[in-house]
Amino acid sequence: MPGNKNIKLYSKNLSFFYGNNQAVFDVSIEIPQHSIVAMIGPSGCGKTTFLRCFNRMHDLYPGNRYQGEIFFDNQNILSKNIDVTLLRSKIGMVFQKPTPFPMSISDNISYGLKLNGIKNKTEIKDRVESALRSSALWKEVKDRLKLPATGLSGGQQQRLVIARALAVEPQVMLFDEPTSALDPISTSKIEELAAELKKKVTIIIVTHNMQQAARISDYTAFMYMGKLIEYDETNVMFTNPQEKLSEDYITGRFG
Amino acid sequence: MKQVKTTNFGDRFFSFFTFCAAMVVLVSLAGIFISLIFESWESLSRFGFFNFIFTDDWNPVKEVFGAAIPLVGTFITTILALLIAIPISLGIAVFITEICPSKLKAPLSIAIELLAAIPSIIYGMWGLFTFAPIMSEYIEPGLQFVFGDIPFIGPIFQGTPLGIDVLTASIVLSIMIIPFISSIARDTILLTPQVLKESAYSIGTTEWEVIKDVILPYSKFGIYGGIIIALGRALGETMAVAFVLGNRHAFPTSFFDATSTITVTLANEFTEADSNLYMSSLYLLSLLLFVISFIVLSFAKFIVHKGSKKWNG
Amino acid sequence: MERLRKRKIQNNIAIGFSLLASIIGLFWLVFILFDVLRHGLSFFDLNLFIEDPAPPGFEGGGMRNAFIGQFMITGCAIVIGIPFGILGGTFLSEYGRMTKIGRLISVISDIMISVPTIVVGTFIYSLMVKPLGHFSGWAGSVSLAMIMIPVTLRTTEDMMSLVPWSIREAAFALGAPYYKVIIQVVYRGAIAGILTGILLSIARIAGETAPLLFTSFNNSFISLNMEEPMASLTVTIFQYATGPYDDWHAMAWAASFVIILAILLLTVLGRLLVIFKYSSK
Repeated sequence: MPGNKNIKLYSKNLSFFYGNNQAVFDVSIEIPQHSIVAMIGPSGCGKTTFLRCFNRMHDLYPGNRYQGEIFFDNQNILSKNIDVTLLRSKIGMVFQKPTPFPMSISDNISYGLKLNGIKNKTEIKDRVESALRSSALWKEVKDRLKLPATGLSGGQQQRLVIARALAVEPQVMLFDEPTSALDPISTSKIEELAAELKKKVTIIIVTHNMQQAARISDYTAFMYMGKLIEYDETNVMFTNPQEKLSEDYITGRFG
Repeated sequence: MKQVKTTNFGDRFFSFFTFCAAMVVLVSLAGIFISLIFESWESLSRFGFFNFIFTDDWNPVKEVFGAAIPLVGTFITTILALLIAIPISLGIAVFITEICPSKLKAPLSIAIELLAAIPSIIYGMWGLFTFAPIMSEYIEPGLQFVFGDIPFIGPIFQGTPLGIDVLTASIVLSIMIIPFISSIARDTILLTPQVLKESAYSIGTTEWEVIKDVILPYSKFGIYGGIIIALGRALGETMAVAFVLGNRHAFPTSFFDATSTITVTLANEFTEADSNLYMSSLYLLSLLLFVISFIVLSFAKFIVHKGSKKWNG
Repeated sequence: MERLRKRKIQNNIAIGFSLLASIIGLFWLVFILFDVLRHGLSFFDLNLFIEDPAPPGFEGGGMRNAFIGQFMITGCAIVIGIPFGILGGTFLSEYGRMTKIGRLISVISDIMISVPTIVVGTFIYSLMVKPLGHFSGWAGSVSLAMIMIPVTLRTTEDMMSLVPWSIREAAFALGAPYYKVIIQVVYRGAIAGILTGILLSIARIAGETAPLLFTSFNNSFISLNMEEPMASLTVTIFQYATGPYDDWHAMAWAASFVIILAILLLTVLGRLLVIFKYSSK
């Protein structure tokens, strides 16, 4: 497990249930600040379900239940008195498919700012620009900020969504297979972006692509059947896995 | 795309047979149009189209007929009904799709749709015997008390509240069109991709912000379409309005005035028309109503079509 | 934090409004149904069904003529309307799909569904009443059928289109001609949906008044002759409700109760059919 780094986020004996079906079993994991943690594992192993616990996305649907604890800045975010809206503004999320809102490019980004009460037009303009710059999209879109975001390419849309999440200055970003719908060039742009972003935020990324995990992450967690099998520094994980299951998965014997 | 080539006799026969059955729709459309023009020709040539729609006299004795009052009555009641129905219907649609517990969704949807199953004659009965007295005894005097003395809007609350008036008719109409708007709005709201909603929640929005900024813009074409279909319905509604609007050939100047609409005039006078010109003028009203509804409904189809094309690539 | 609190309050207001809107919608439904039930039941008796109307101003009497007329007019409308609707819908979903004329008919049907029914009444008047010089039950049936056809046609089209193409192809592979595939395979797959569509379209025309006013008109005597003016429940309700006598009003309520009961029954039956169909799969 990660050494004595500054731990931003950790789960303690976390289990999760869809109704009566348990999808995550007793997972404890520590996420160090300013690092990228990759979650890998075969389809249906519970890695996405686990990821969605961190911003309580499961709360949107009835019948879902958490058990255990997740600490974020030493506060249990699964406790009843947590304000989910506020929590989500601190923990951003990017989905498999790009999700631009039905509005213009700049409105997509300024949306979150306006929600947080920023009214000053110059400030909004500056922050839209800086968010677009930090997602390496600024050069491509600066002349068409007022056009609908749906006109962008898939890769551009995904970077726009990242910029939108960044604009509200989250401390943690959750990536749920952000490149699975993208072409290789767009994928590598997003990967570069992630490496850049970890200076500012802590990133957890769920990925299907083991090479991707190896390329960009500092730590890798391998999940299987809802359980955390192994969690270690990425280079250890990929060169010298301790568990037989992880080794089999990494070497491509199943999955 | 797939289309089947038909060569054998049975198929030729059956396809021709079904084709003829389908053509009945086009034939009846053409039939309505031609016969209404034919029947209204005398009035049209006597008064002229523009003269007819701008004349506010409707006098069978002097044989002067103009559509201005029924037209204005039709539009006022329709617009008021929409103004009342739109917020309520959207509220219902949002409640059903986004807020209410999943167990209540189906019963609530069915209950609201039952409103559309109630025949308009029942709305009329209820409006006349139950709702109009409540309006004239409690609600209208109350409104008059509150708004009657305010400058500018005061005048539209003047008059003796008899309950048989523009306001009552518009409210009854609004109840009738709520199910149309809310069920179409509900269906289009359900088309909003779940992941789009999730990504809005993931930047820390409240339910209302997701609805207002993501779901409603995303489904706006469907909602506009639903509103316009409801508008078409309200324009052509007869029985409910016939009971509670009165049939008074004068422009309403207040919510509490009785007036007339095209449909009410037709329902009350069609079988009593005693001269050819009178009859022909009633047909001209019918033609006007038909053309207006046809245009409105075609426009609704167009909007819905455009909306579905826009989002589905 | 202040800002977030304001947003939460806004959110609660909006949710509260949508709850209120739903309550308003339900309130109208319950209010109207309850009102019809209350009035209708208190005037409800057997005479309603077995007696003809008493002369105006006299006590007693019933609406036997209107019940029978309603049945005959609606029944004939169904007999005329259903074949056209189903066959036309078959054309749209099978032979005519992807053709321009098929698309056009489909769109026009959607529009015709919402065209004012009173206009249909004026049309049938000029087609069937004026030339003959008198109102007739047939004219009423034809105008109701004209309202029913586009509804049945569109639901039939939709329900048949839901039957997957692979099923048709499997039947073609056995060497069946298209018409046999339609009759033996597609109709069978779509039957529950088509029936639902028919029930709902019957519910729709059973409560229609406006198109009957100028076609079947009214008749205070019992008549089984479709070539003569014929009473219907809805037109009788209109006449009685706007008339001056209390017992007329009472009978109008009782008739409204019967109509609403029949229509709700048809509507619920139609819905149950769908639920039954999809849960038994």
